[in-house]
Amino acid sequence: MIKNSLSRLFRGQRSFFLMVPALVWQILFLCIPLVVIFILSFLKVQDNVTLSYSLSHYASFFKPQYLKIIFRSLLLGSINTLICLLIGYPLAYYLVFRVGRWKNTLLFLLILPFWTNLLVLAYAWFFVLDKYGLFNNSLMSLGVISEPLTLLNTPFSVYLVMIYCYLPFMVLPIYSILEKLDKRLIEASDDLGARWWESFWRVIFPLSMSGIQTGVFLVFVQSFGEFVIPELLGGGKTFYVGTLISHYFLVSRNPFAGAAFTCFSVLFLIAVAYMLYRMFKKVNSTGGVR
Amino acid sequence: MRGISRYALPLFTLCIYVFLYVPIVVLILFSFNRSAYPYTWGGFSLHWYRELFQSTDLLHALYNSLIVACVSMVLSILLAVLFVFFRPKNKFNNLLPLFYGGLAAPEVVLAVGLLTLFYFLMVPLGLTTIIAGHTLVGLGYTIPIIQSRFEELDTRYTEASMDLGASQFQTLWRVIVPLLYPALIASGLLVFIVSLDDFVIAFFTSGAATQTLPMYIFSMIRSGATPVVNALSVFLLVISSLVVMMFSWLQISKADMV
Repeated sequence: MIKNSLSRLFRGQRSFFLMVPALVWQILFLCIPLVVIFILSFLKVQDNVTLSYSLSHYASFFKPQYLKIIFRSLLLGSINTLICLLIGYPLAYYLVFRVGRWKNTLLFLLILPFWTNLLVLAYAWFFVLDKYGLFNNSLMSLGVISEPLTLLNTPFSVYLVMIYCYLPFMVLPIYSILEKLDKRLIEASDDLGARWWESFWRVIFPLSMSGIQTGVFLVFVQSFGEFVIPELLGGGKTFYVGTLISHYFLVSRNPFAGAAFTCFSVLFLIAVAYMLYRMFKKVNSTGGVR
Repeated sequence: MRGISRYALPLFTLCIYVFLYVPIVVLILFSFNRSAYPYTWGGFSLHWYRELFQSTDLLHALYNSLIVACVSMVLSILLAVLFVFFRPKNKFNNLLPLFYGGLAAPEVVLAVGLLTLFYFLMVPLGLTTIIAGHTLVGLGYTIPIIQSRFEELDTRYTEASMDLGASQFQTLWRVIVPLLYPALIASGLLVFIVSLDDFVIAFFTSGAATQTLPMYIFSMIRSGATPVVNALSVFLLVISSLVVMMFSWLQISKADMV
């Protein structure tokens, strides 16, 4: 009988249960942990023994030093996203529309850093930005400066390497949208007498909005929570959201406050992401920039 | 106005590529540096490469990373194929966004969540817990890629196979999997490289005793890097280049690599 029902299970159309493992994985390792973090954020240890419900963690975050960290991360995310977009869009445009023979090579060279270990990329910058690194050495031998500049362990080095590491995340989604774009639309626009920048601004740009959207969200969300680059290139002196969260969990071993700070900062992230989402929706519904 | 697109854009692109490659080229050059002092050139030498492959800590970290990357890759492909193939047609479409969650949330939040979960379930931290996290992220790559290729397949392949008496598993294994081959390899490679590169999830969920390659690099950079790290970095660069070349070789649209 078992054999019978098993064979019915496998031969009929009823093996839907095999789609379940992937779902279970996602629920167990994504949804449940998020719920656990959320619950933890309302708990507090009393006298080292009992747990009690408390909002005190949240209340304590409404202090300038915590808000400052969140705004520092929001600023890092926004500026990084903006610069990546300003650099990345022309680059993607150029690769799709203007490069002939070298397209595959240039694309390969763009993808390679994207697929290279983030730590390796960050580490490579030490050679450029160090007190006796390439940048200072070349400037000094050119006589522009007489004393080496301090570039490492400053916000400047954090921003620079962030842009460096996140640029491909912006370029590739835009590239793939532009690549799929129906070239006849541009020809039509050109034939009807539009200048190239009119074709760009009124045809290409609005149609590439979904690629921009993907790139903006990818870069913004990940750079908001970035942990490695501020830690390595910021000298660990300045806290960002990612570094503070890891500090709570790994250094001061206070998962309750850590969970609360995670939820608190994610609220800001969601608020900004929602604003961005509304903005994109508005731009899309009005048919792009006019 | 034409001048902008004729001269300014190429020049701009050139600058970006210089920006992208100057650090990498300098890093490669200095990996062949004889001098132990990191930023002064002391002549050509392969010394650091020799030292690299003699360091047992490093080889151990490399071994851990490769195990995690391979297992995560296989699991992500396997779970994704099962999900895509056995999902009733046009049903449960609203479940798909669930798989983007691992890509949409900040990595540090995922990592902290996993750490807390394992802590409460009293799961000992180690390679298994890293694999759990990497497969979670990996499914975010494999499911959309395999799903979209699966949808492009003619459903008559499946119908014909089933009509001719093949079971669902035979159909999956002998008809669908061969047809999906490029998508499986592409998404698998993506998971492999993402897993090999990941630092944050591994850092949080590995426990004190286990170290992966990115963690090894991180601790070395922090404790004052020796040029061995340069040699290791070049080694990793070579691996990435090989994987990207495999992609081109497989004739997969590069735009899909995002």
